[in-house]
Amino acid sequence: MFNSKFSRRDFLKTSASAAATLAATQMGPFAGPARAARDKELNILCWEGYNSAQVLDPFRSSKSATVKAESLTNDPTMINRLRAGEINVWDLINVNNPWARKIMMPEKLIKPLDRAKFEPYFEKMMPQFKPPYKWAMDDSGKDLLGMAQRFGPYSFVVNTDKISRKTAEDQGWDLFNDPKLAGRFGILESDDWNVFGVCCIAGFDPYKAHTAEEVAKFEETAKRILKNKKVVGDIATMNQAMISGEIDCHLTGGTYSASPARADGHLNLRGITPNKGPLAGGKGGIAWIEITSVVNNPQGSPLAEQFLEYVQAPEVAHTVAFAEGTFNPVAQMGNPECFKLFSKDQLEAIQWDSLEEEMARSAEYDIVPDYDKLLDIWNAAKKS
Amino acid sequence: MIEKTSFFAEPGRRAALPILVLLSLGFIAPLLAVVGFSFMPARTFGLWHEPTLENYETVFSDNTYISLFWSLGLASATVVLLALICYPVAYGLVRVFGRWSTVLTLLFTIPLVVSENIRLYGWVLFFIKGGVLPGTLRTLFGVEMGDFLFTPAAVLFGMVYVYLPFMLFPMTLGIAMVPNQMREAARDLGASRWQVFREVELPLSTPGLMIGSLLTFVLAIGAIAEAKVLGGQRIIPITHDIEIAFTYAQNWPLGAALAVLLMLVVSVLVLIVLRRFDLDQILGKR
Repeated sequence: MFNSKFSRRDFLKTSASAAATLAATQMGPFAGPARAARDKELNILCWEGYNSAQVLDPFRSSKSATVKAESLTNDPTMINRLRAGEINVWDLINVNNPWARKIMMPEKLIKPLDRAKFEPYFEKMMPQFKPPYKWAMDDSGKDLLGMAQRFGPYSFVVNTDKISRKTAEDQGWDLFNDPKLAGRFGILESDDWNVFGVCCIAGFDPYKAHTAEEVAKFEETAKRILKNKKVVGDIATMNQAMISGEIDCHLTGGTYSASPARADGHLNLRGITPNKGPLAGGKGGIAWIEITSVVNNPQGSPLAEQFLEYVQAPEVAHTVAFAEGTFNPVAQMGNPECFKLFSKDQLEAIQWDSLEEEMARSAEYDIVPDYDKLLDIWNAAKKS
Repeated sequence: MIEKTSFFAEPGRRAALPILVLLSLGFIAPLLAVVGFSFMPARTFGLWHEPTLENYETVFSDNTYISLFWSLGLASATVVLLALICYPVAYGLVRVFGRWSTVLTLLFTIPLVVSENIRLYGWVLFFIKGGVLPGTLRTLFGVEMGDFLFTPAAVLFGMVYVYLPFMLFPMTLGIAMVPNQMREAARDLGASRWQVFREVELPLSTPGLMIGSLLTFVLAIGAIAEAKVLGGQRIIPITHDIEIAFTYAQNWPLGAALAVLLMLVVSVLVLIVLRRFDLDQILGKR
């Protein structure tokens, strides 16, 4: 029979002291300032790349910090997660250019950076990012809202063995109106960007409120494009389908999506920026620029600003450009110390040869005023 | 006389209370949240708005029925095909292959440890233009394979492949449950091999078939990767519709309404089947 000197009274005493110890350790942080609780942790909501071990591990070890990064592949989802209450969770948010200035700052989802500390970094970036850089500033031009790093043109991708670069650039978005292309093109599953692309194929600027006629034209174009497509899929599917010859080109794409295949030696896959198009100023392409901002978290981590400084270093910026997933130009390539780290093959992968002219021909990604309506039409067309 | 005691006075019930609370929070609360969201105004992110039926109106007024049709159709076709494919295999594993059964069972089980997406991308490389199958056919026989990848047929193929073990193993168990003496008795009484199969083995192995079919149907109606990877999104199943609502469309209430609709349809179908075939009865518990 079980016989122990450990009585019921002893058990209660031991349990009570254990509970008290546990409570004390758990309650500890509340005794000091709330901020002190999070000086060894950082949570980042970002596009893929910033969540890679290559980028995060050196920061983790140098700060002895727990850094969590969640990667998503569309901006509206990230913004809406902050709106839905996750402002208390994240310290940094990395999204495309218009959101900080037009949505997140007005809604107080992010907070400004110290201009004196961070603006000098813009001085070292490529010429188009010289301070005050429009997308990093608020409307008044007083507050600095985030840091620029990755960017690139993003319209569509062709296999130049099947459709020459010149033909694609000259024909532009009309390429997808050509009945001969039916069954020979794919669509990347970035539905927000597909809305922009379908507007351009339909012949009007996506970044404005649309008339009833334009909405009707959008619906007709969306149905036609979806009927004629061969496949809708992710970046890997698009690149694989182009390499194998299943498709000749795909809608929504550019350096960001073609670079993994180009880095693998498939230089015939090329992001195309049309020579002209329906975007503001007659521009033919669309470009994105990521802005990383500090979330207006009531208990934000002090590591957030330190991370923003950390990724400005030439070596880290190069790692960000070639982190896992996709490969992209970075604004820090304006600094010769950073640029020299890129090999010839890496520059070829990110289409460095035409980057400047493609950016010049591109309008910058913006918010579509009637996005919800157009997206609903696009999604309904996908099912029919 | 038996003294009537309260519910919590029964042995073990109070001890089970913490786990009951945990399960309620873990399983029931999220479901209730989904149901709650389905009654919130479109494109809102809280549960404290004035309830509305607009999401259900949208579901019934737009073309959601096409997605539901694809999901139900593909899941049903998967179950029928798997029943036809798995029965002979399961029969072989139990009665024919002897000691090789273990090896074969392992071969069917091992792929389960590899992520479903990776296995499906493997099939993409197999079927893609110039891939393993079309490349081999062209090189060895000069035959050009027609389009298969990125078609609804490829989606069905993927579903049959992914859900095969979920039909095979319950079925194997069902066939193993048929006592040998019953078969021998039927043979001794003059039944032909066909009669033994039709009148003894098939009815007695029905529990395995039923459990396999139910399991496969419920899993297959929630399938999404097959239509995305092998189907090239040529068709949009209801689960993909739900995903779109929760991500790009940022319409959680609509996504929740679609999820509730799917749960209701699946529950009703499963209940109908369970009423038609009483599992307890066929398992011999009553």
